[in-house]
Amino acid sequence: MYILQARDIHKKFDSLKVLKGVSLQVEKGEVIAIIGPSGSGKSTFLRCLNHLETIDRGEIKIEGEFMVRNSPDGYALYSTDKEIDQIRHKMGMVFQNFNLFPHKSVLKNLTMAPILVKQADKVEAENKAWQLLEKVGLSDKANNYPFELSGGQQQRVAIARALSMEPDIMCFDEPTSALDPELTGEVLQVMKDLALEHMTMIVVTHEIGFAREVANRVIFMDEGLIVEEGTAEQVIVNPYHERTRAFLSKVLMAR
Amino acid sequence: MDYILMLLPSMLKGLSVTLKLFFLTLMVALPVGILMGMARISKFKPLKWFMEFYVWLFRGTPLLLQLLFMYFGLMTIGIRLEREIAAYLAFVLNYSAYLAEIFRAGIQSIDRGQYEAADVLGLNRFQTMKNIVLPQVFKLVLPPMGNEVINLVKDTALIYVLAISELSRVARTHVMRDDTFVPFIIAAIFYLFMTGTVQQFFKWLESRFDYYR
Repeated sequence: MYILQARDIHKKFDSLKVLKGVSLQVEKGEVIAIIGPSGSGKSTFLRCLNHLETIDRGEIKIEGEFMVRNSPDGYALYSTDKEIDQIRHKMGMVFQNFNLFPHKSVLKNLTMAPILVKQADKVEAENKAWQLLEKVGLSDKANNYPFELSGGQQQRVAIARALSMEPDIMCFDEPTSALDPELTGEVLQVMKDLALEHMTMIVVTHEIGFAREVANRVIFMDEGLIVEEGTAEQVIVNPYHERTRAFLSKVLMAR
Repeated sequence: MDYILMLLPSMLKGLSVTLKLFFLTLMVALPVGILMGMARISKFKPLKWFMEFYVWLFRGTPLLLQLLFMYFGLMTIGIRLEREIAAYLAFVLNYSAYLAEIFRAGIQSIDRGQYEAADVLGLNRFQTMKNIVLPQVFKLVLPPMGNEVINLVKDTALIYVLAISELSRVARTHVMRDDTFVPFIIAAIFYLFMTGTVQQFFKWLESRFDYYR
């Protein structure tokens, strides 16, 4: 059984078609890397999966429950807000720009959602937060504010914050793109650790090295479609499509 | 010196009238302004349009005129408000409009990423406003708010047109009766003391919010 199924997703911004029928099936514990040039629709696709964007047509099913499906006349029909909320809770999200809450300490960034949304006990939520900070190597920063942290540290806090809601799937939207090169390593390491714990992960990334090393499956998107998908070996080392090859040679040349 | 001591009781009475208007306006217009600021960017279009019209009306006409309207204008159509009530009403309606604009701008300057982060963590819209957006808005709006509150101190002098004996009117009465400029100087000192206090208070507030960037 798939933990996430997206079928034939279509999405337009005004008249610009950004997704032209994208499908993806994810098994529990899989790590999926989505690569592709900017404007290929990869971030939009990820944002559709956790309802930050709405789709025009297609189906998204998470842990067997529909978030959205096609109505008989072929348009996306969303479940009720309440149902969607429940389904979405199963997904954590890490943004390119971290989006930590600047007015809250690191610890409060991690405890706020469990306390407000899950009505977690404050002490319990704090214990959990300390464990998560330990895991991302930042327990000494619990009482600091986000602006006092480096970008890499902020992103690790953001990952811990997403984990605080105990998601079954973690989505990453270019998690290292806003970081100075020397800070990407620490974030990728945390993500690798998560992968080793068999967290289901969908990672939109420019880090070809990470995709190659960690992902079970690599997806190359271009112009709103999946051009090629397979193991890292297939897609990154021996790409079949001309467009994949062109993209990879550009990206790898830049290194 | 004796003259100043003789003046003080009536000047202090005028001051209390001024302060009452000041605090009442602030206490009502502040929460109303926040709500109006949110309504001003509501997705419910009629509400948004109404708020736009409201802000246009009350920011677009002199407060003096609004005071006259609340008292004399309403009287001509048979609504007879007490002078103080008319003054409070005009001030609250006027300052709510200004504060609404300040809060609107503050709310809109919060990064979209903050809403998205709250959203994916499962916070509902009310929780997002209360815990994420508004606390950050308060920090942002403090400088323009400080301006507005200082303006309020000085604007209270306008209610003289309704023959209410606030600080400046009391001073003027004495000036004309006693043929001396001293009451004006005392009034000015009172105003400077009030605006100075407001200024210090906002400085303190801003420092309280300095803990994050």
